[in-house]
Amino acid sequence: MRKSRLVLAPAVMLASAALVLSGCAAAEEEATTDSGSTTTETTDVAETYEVYALLPQGSDQAYGTFYVPAMEAAAAELGINLTITNSEYDGDKQASECEIAVAAKPDGIILWPAVGDAVRPCLEAAEAAGIPVTVTNSDLFDADKALSRGYSGPDTYGQGVSSAEIMCELVGDAAVSIIQLNGAAGNSTAIDRDNGFTDTVAANCPNVTILQEESTDWTKATAQQVASEMITAQGIENIDGIYAADDSIAAGAIAALEARGVVAADYFITSIGNTFLGNPLVIDGSLDGTVFQSSSWDGENATRLMYDVLTGVIAAGDREVKFMPSVKVTAANASDADVAPEW
Amino acid sequence: MAKETFTQAMSVAPEPQDAKNEKQKTSFIAFIADKGIFVFTIVLVLTAVFFVDGFASLQNVTDVFHRAAPIGIVALGMTFVVITGNYLDLSVVAQAAAAGVILIAVSNAYNLIVAFAVAFVVAIVFGLVNGIAVGYFKANAVIVTLATTYIGLGLLRLLSGGSQVFGPADGPIATFGTSKLGPFPYSAVVLVVVTLILTFVLTKTNFGFMIRSFGTNSSATRLAGTNTGLIVIGAFLVTSMAAMFGGFVLAAFSNTAVSNMASGFDFEALAAIIVGGTSVFGGKGSVPRTLLGVVFVSILSNVLVLVQVSYGLQQVAIGSLIVLAVTVDALGRRVSKK
Amino acid sequence: MTNQSVIKVGSTATGFFGKLKTVLARRTEGRAVALFAIIASFVTISQPLVFTAYQVTLGRIALIGLVALGLTAVILMGELDLSVASTLAVSGVIAVTVANQTNMLIGVLAALAAGVVVSLINAFFVAIVGINSFIATLGMLFALRGMAFVISDEAPVKLENTDLGIAFGQPLLGPLTPRILIFFLIFIAIQVFVSRVKAGREFLAVGGNRQAAYDAGIPVKRRIFTGFIISGVVASIAGIVNAVERTSADPTSGSTVLLASFAAAIIGGNYLKGGKGSIVGTLIGAASLGMLQVALTISGIQIPVQEIFIGAILLIAVITDPSSLRAVWGSLSTTFQGIKNSLVNPAREKGSAPSIGNKTNERGN
Repeated sequence: MRKSRLVLAPAVMLASAALVLSGCAAAEEEATTDSGSTTTETTDVAETYEVYALLPQGSDQAYGTFYVPAMEAAAAELGINLTITNSEYDGDKQASECEIAVAAKPDGIILWPAVGDAVRPCLEAAEAAGIPVTVTNSDLFDADKALSRGYSGPDTYGQGVSSAEIMCELVGDAAVSIIQLNGAAGNSTAIDRDNGFTDTVAANCPNVTILQEESTDWTKATAQQVASEMITAQGIENIDGIYAADDSIAAGAIAALEARGVVAADYFITSIGNTFLGNPLVIDGSLDGTVFQSSSWDGENATRLMYDVLTGVIAAGDREVKFMPSVKVTAANASDADVAPEW
Repeated sequence: MAKETFTQAMSVAPEPQDAKNEKQKTSFIAFIADKGIFVFTIVLVLTAVFFVDGFASLQNVTDVFHRAAPIGIVALGMTFVVITGNYLDLSVVAQAAAAGVILIAVSNAYNLIVAFAVAFVVAIVFGLVNGIAVGYFKANAVIVTLATTYIGLGLLRLLSGGSQVFGPADGPIATFGTSKLGPFPYSAVVLVVVTLILTFVLTKTNFGFMIRSFGTNSSATRLAGTNTGLIVIGAFLVTSMAAMFGGFVLAAFSNTAVSNMASGFDFEALAAIIVGGTSVFGGKGSVPRTLLGVVFVSILSNVLVLVQVSYGLQQVAIGSLIVLAVTVDALGRRVSKK
Repeated sequence: MTNQSVIKVGSTATGFFGKLKTVLARRTEGRAVALFAIIASFVTISQPLVFTAYQVTLGRIALIGLVALGLTAVILMGELDLSVASTLAVSGVIAVTVANQTNMLIGVLAALAAGVVVSLINAFFVAIVGINSFIATLGMLFALRGMAFVISDEAPVKLENTDLGIAFGQPLLGPLTPRILIFFLIFIAIQVFVSRVKAGREFLAVGGNRQAAYDAGIPVKRRIFTGFIISGVVASIAGIVNAVERTSADPTSGSTVLLASFAAAIIGGNYLKGGKGSIVGTLIGAASLGMLQVALTISGIQIPVQEIFIGAILLIAVITDPSSLRAVWGSLSTTFQGIKNSLVNPAREKGSAPSIGNKTNERGN
């Protein structure tokens, strides 16, 4: 039947094209150098390491914008050729990028999990291929940690804890009601900080009641809108404080308060980040406390940790954990040079 | 052109070839389909006023305006594209973000006038690229605007480095964002002004007439000798201008801008347009209807936060709303055809 | 000898090549193949790893292509299904949640059932109520996404049977993982359905001219139901495959897949208005996109530049469609005619300069 030829013709063309191309590719591989890209396939001298960095954000978010240059600078200094990906928090996309990375057989893989639950297959594939994996920014679940050689980065659960500790300290024993603004729904950092905060408040200062929580998309504009509506829902006279998962969110919440003519400094407000938006607010008293997260520390140490693994500083079988110091930033130390905001 | 009163402007744009369809309010379903959105909005507002604490406060009214303004301005402009039967303009996401980032970043580096000029040029380029591809190359609007979104966001991140930019606390942008005219924030004033201008354009100008007739029957319009490519370009340029102003207003609201600040604008604007009664088949629709759709969706979102509905359920509500609105519209159209 | 009264209608090319030419001329995948060839050559030269590690590339193609295949069934009929992204997410969540309570098989069945239910709802609104499919499925896109969040409590759901998940990601037949095998099986199934089964062949008729299809006695509404069921079930399968392979179901998943699937279908030569296109075309489109994405990832070029690249290719691909080029040529020649006429006889031509609404053309083109 003609119809079968119809299907067969393009299929045969495709198959033969693929075969021919892969044959050519195999032959070419030894002699190929790419002119158009920034990484080379051939490893010439032992000092140059090929490393894949699988990230869920880059220049599409404020944090990543400062993380990546720090990571690249450290790489350039240490002789590492970095190939960076950005899966935009899509777990499936990151898994696919991981497959590509494993197939490229680099010397190491730096992983910043997009979805913490979903990376085990990637880790196992890398392990099977003999490629060491280090983790950055969001650590793995306990069950998966053995498959990695190290973690560097913030302790996102711990950040929530620190922010809660500042809040508890401020509030003391008084019965206080707050509203809570989280990060993006379904996002692992948002979830960890949320849990860290609520667990600590429940344990250390149960006199603090959380009236309402809402998710935002990490931006100031959405936070401002949602905070204003939450204040309306609860009634401004019933609210004594606000917890925000991030300084941009806090800035939005503070703007919402000020739009109603109240003074933000009168409220107990804590958040996380110590960013360009947040630090000035701590200095002027609107924001009572935040937790310093250095994106450049994060990026730089991701590279350095991998370097330590590659050069054998971290022995096989060991797992090194380097936590970014969760420095609490309050009015007392907000102007200090060592907590100068970075992003 | 005959003078049209505001109520006539509020009603469905008359089908250019079929004047006798004007009075079809005999059937109840047809009435719901045509005027349903008014009724629903009134019902929603009354329910909220009586049952939701704090809804009727001045502050909350301001909040609803703040919700409505950026997405509303974008939706008003995008109505032109939808009326021509080209589904939607996905690139408003990139355009609004670009306008916001340019406004703050360029005015920080230079001054406000330069920022406006640069944003204006960028919007024109977007509108032209989209318009030419869809209007002259007759390519599908969904794919073209998807492509320009990728290119636009890519360029924006490349050039701006992706970081969040913010203006000085007492600068003109911040002042605009916090100022009010009576109970109306400036952004709401912009929304109303844009509505008036675009309504005028769509109903009273030659160009507007062309847009509407093109949507209703593109081949007839072509046969009549009009240059359909230019009509489509015009529609996309209107959308670009609107997206630019929407981006300005959003940036002014928080005095910050970042490349992902307008994410979701494309489908949200479309949802507002559909709920307002504009048909995706093209031809039927009006600018004031879109405004009403925007107001309805904004009030609904506002109420959902006030009654503490979870994020997931909020999405379910809005999705169901779209389906409901379109079902009513489809039923109404079917009944009126009999 | 030939009968003198035979009327020659249409092409009567003889011989293998003549017939092949006729057949190929009707195919819509020409541009897709050309684009594929261009991308393949570019990739071979710059990033041969894409081919030497072909199982990875196939995995990426399967990721974006599976949903695209189901979507094509709907597109051929002139409808759209935007809800596939959320169907994917919801199915994954249901599969894992149910599997954690019972076992994987029941989880998979539950998720597939969910996919069927979703597609029935979509088809109901489109075929029975008569809503434009773009809008109806847009609403479902939002609503289902919300459902995924509600069911999963806004956090990813971890599959307890992790070993099963890991095993699922391992190569099954040679270097091909279950995902790739499922992708090919579904491709074959849908392709056979659309080209051999009578109901499937009618999809193109339904898309090409809805009224004529009705008149020809085709049960259009039933076909629409079938089409949406294909789309919904395939999206469901994609969601299950993703969730199991990842050992976790993410309620936010699927957002990038939606537009990539449309892109794959369009690049493959499918017309969004329906009536023209093919499953094979979508396969080729998905292959082109997949290769390109993998090549760009390996190249290490800055991410924003990669995005610009993909956007530009998409734009060029869609503009260089033969009908688009014809349309532009038509407009350009009309414009030149108008200018020529007005130059030759400025007095005769009323409102000679082309402007909105006032352009007249003696040919009435």
